[in-house]
Amino acid sequence: MKVSLFATCLVDLFQSNVGKATVELLEKLGCEIDFPESQVCCGQPSYNSGYVKESKEAMKRMIETFEDAEYVVSPSGSCAYMFHEYQTIFKNDPNWEHRAKELAEKTYELTEFIVDVLKVEDVGARFEGNVTYHTSCHMTRLLGVKKAPIILLNNVNGLRMTELPGKEKCCGFGGTFSVKMAQISEQMVDEKVSHIEETEADYLIGADAGCLMNIGGRIERKGKPIKVLHIAEVLNSR
Amino acid sequence: MMKNVIQNRDEFLNQIAYRLGRERLITPIERPQWKYRPQIDVLKNATQDELLAVLKEQCKKIHTSFCVTELKNLPSVLKDVVSIYGGGPIVTWKDERFSKWGLDMFLKEEWESYEWDPIKEEENIKIAEKANIGITISEITLAESGTVVQFTDKNKGRTVSFLPAAYIALIPKSSLVPRITQAAVKMREIYHTTGQVSSCINFITGPSNSADIELKLVVGVHGPVQAYYIVINDL
Amino acid sequence: MPMKIGSDEFKNRVDKGIRDSFMRSAVASAQDGIGQRRQAAADELGNWEEWRSHGEEIRQHVLAHLDYYLELLSENVARRGGHVFFAQTKEEANEYIREVALKKKAKKIVKSKSMVTEEIHLNAVLENAGCTVVETDLGEYILQVDDHEPPSHIIAPALHKNKEQVQEVFTKKLGYKKSSKPEELAWHAREMLREEYLTADIGITGCNFAVAETGSICLVTNEGNADLVTALPKTLITVMGMERIVPTFEEMDVLVSLLTRSAVGQKLTSYITVFTGPRAEMEADGPEDFHLVILDNGRSNILGGEFQSILQCIRCAACVNACPVYRHVGGHSYGSIYSGPIGAVLSPLLGGYDDYKELPYASTLCGACTEVCPVKIPLHQLLHKHREVIVEREGKAPISEKLAMKAFGIGAASPGLYKIGSKIAPTAMNPFTVGDKISSGPGPLKAWTEFREFPAPNKERFRDWFKNRAKVDHE
Repeated sequence: MKVSLFATCLVDLFQSNVGKATVELLEKLGCEIDFPESQVCCGQPSYNSGYVKESKEAMKRMIETFEDAEYVVSPSGSCAYMFHEYQTIFKNDPNWEHRAKELAEKTYELTEFIVDVLKVEDVGARFEGNVTYHTSCHMTRLLGVKKAPIILLNNVNGLRMTELPGKEKCCGFGGTFSVKMAQISEQMVDEKVSHIEETEADYLIGADAGCLMNIGGRIERKGKPIKVLHIAEVLNSR
Repeated sequence: MMKNVIQNRDEFLNQIAYRLGRERLITPIERPQWKYRPQIDVLKNATQDELLAVLKEQCKKIHTSFCVTELKNLPSVLKDVVSIYGGGPIVTWKDERFSKWGLDMFLKEEWESYEWDPIKEEENIKIAEKANIGITISEITLAESGTVVQFTDKNKGRTVSFLPAAYIALIPKSSLVPRITQAAVKMREIYHTTGQVSSCINFITGPSNSADIELKLVVGVHGPVQAYYIVINDL
Repeated sequence: MPMKIGSDEFKNRVDKGIRDSFMRSAVASAQDGIGQRRQAAADELGNWEEWRSHGEEIRQHVLAHLDYYLELLSENVARRGGHVFFAQTKEEANEYIREVALKKKAKKIVKSKSMVTEEIHLNAVLENAGCTVVETDLGEYILQVDDHEPPSHIIAPALHKNKEQVQEVFTKKLGYKKSSKPEELAWHAREMLREEYLTADIGITGCNFAVAETGSICLVTNEGNADLVTALPKTLITVMGMERIVPTFEEMDVLVSLLTRSAVGQKLTSYITVFTGPRAEMEADGPEDFHLVILDNGRSNILGGEFQSILQCIRCAACVNACPVYRHVGGHSYGSIYSGPIGAVLSPLLGGYDDYKELPYASTLCGACTEVCPVKIPLHQLLHKHREVIVEREGKAPISEKLAMKAFGIGAASPGLYKIGSKIAPTAMNPFTVGDKISSGPGPLKAWTEFREFPAPNKERFRDWFKNRAKVDHE
């Protein structure tokens, strides 16, 4: 199966290890990976801040970039959701509406792709440790991917999962919210970190680079001995 | 200012129509055929006994005491309940069912007891305010929520169920329906048949309560502090 | 401004909220407690999504035919002997109610909880006219006794106060001598208020739902205060936002069910009162005179536009109870009587962007509000829509942000620029980088790094790794 990777700018710039793990994992599952070079940012930061016009050019580039792809897979629920949102953004735009819809229909978040398209529930991973999982808001509520990551993690050998209290609560990232409303964001991420501590997990796992950067950044600043991992890294470990 | 019963209507409604981008609607609108009707499935096909069981269970959640009796035992059951609540004064509706059910005499003999009387006008309110217990009869009883439905008229004052410290509802088992849905249908039916609707329809679900201080539930704020439902099995 | 509270800047209000540790723990436990009860009440039905869809279709139908239903309602209220006053502005509404009070020579007015009368600041108008106005909802009563403190939550107005604070207020203002037990405090309020009901000249209520077909008004409470307010005073005035209307009792059923389950997790609340006009002939209680005031106050401007769905709201506060931002800042931070997500959408619409432009940004767009809304208002999308309007139509965004976003837009849209920019990022960030992290960054990173580490850009971007790897594979 041919998969075009939509790596996201956060992964490209700051978390290349997540991108690597995604590629290796999908290859192990028999996919052929392609990384379209002209991919940029999906436009979410500016779009969510209200700069719709300014964001549209980036979106159009992304639509063009992935036009020939069979499947588009992204290791970030929020960014994958953004591709779905293009349909709404370009609604009634005769040149782009159809193309946006096509992109949305073939775009999947990584774990959703593995479970729903590849029909794999056990990727054969082995990971020793006590973990807890952060369910990102855009991925669960907007994209509607709730079960896939849990199914995959539950089948990882050696992994001991404790459910995160208040798991449905936002971590306080919210893109530009994290800097625009920093004082509120701080309170939100602090509550998230204390919930993570309650689980006594050694690892926090997530499927969204933005949330992980936020929670991880706070954990590190507070000097807590909790490691933050992207789900691709866990599923790729043997 | 009160000469015109309806004031400023046209200007107001024209603005709404303008904003909605069309002319004012003048022809009557049919009530839509709704796409969804989840409310009719709740407790669908439940028997009266099943509804009774649901009501009994729900009473535990609404801080309401509950018992079932045959009509012949109603006077003694009611007597016990009134005693539990500390006796009279009692206020009831003016309703021939009280005497038909054999309650009239006993209520009057045992305790200081008043019947709502339209002739007395607002004296009724003073009586209700001083009463320890108010007793009414449920016209429609909603099993799902544990709710008693009452229709106000000149003989059935609103305040009988609100002002006394304790409230007792007499519930004929046949008045049980699944939920508020059936009451709403019935209310519309009455309106369509008679062209009238009661000046006040009260849905009462247990005693008055509030969680306004630290979200701690306090039972008995403005209205009754205690409530008792007595279901009459053979009515 | 109609529903504005206080004059503090948004940032200061938020700071104050964040520092109020009692309020925050009260809000958190309220959110958790009510949230769980709401969820249980929704799950129990087994087909909650159908209920929501039904609620949505009813509300959308009513809004699309609002003029028709309001006309029908007014006819039916009048037919039953009630007066109807259509008020386009809060001033018109207040003036009408003031005149009724003067005409009735009213000295005392009892009120049951109503957001819409808070919105138009009715109490102040009546007090200036020489009336004593008594709030009868326990939470509202506490706030009123405490020098008219504004409500901080739509359904639990005194949520931010603890019982010791209530005891102190009662002791100071009412000569209360007992403990801080909620039962004793509530009993004291009961005794004080009982006398008020019996001696009041006018009762004033809000309106949960008006029923067009019959001209009835439906009020939902747990305390039973609305029953007494509508049963005892000789004159009754109901004030309703113009959108709070249903076609018949059958739709009232659905919306009341959605309201009580979403607001407090109850199947029905203790008291639901459905009254129609004044008392009938020979009846001894209920009002002799009934006035319905239907209020626009900016609502019609929302109709027909991109924010119309906000008028579907039935004021259950489920969104408030689900909101992670409200959780940490509390109701007063919103600077409006409408707080939480509903407040962040509605306040700028009714009160204008000048006062409320920050509110749409006080959200991570996490969608928790949208998920719980019983009438399916896409709240997070409306918050986003506000941002778009603020940036593109109102031009109220800061210039620095505009420039940054413009640059971002150009950079992100150009693969070439993106590539160069991302390639030089590690070098550009070098002065700020220690090890693999940035602890004190420039520009927007400053706000980030005040309490979080920021990762240093990878030395090798993912795309370079992928390219090099392909080369290696081929060699």
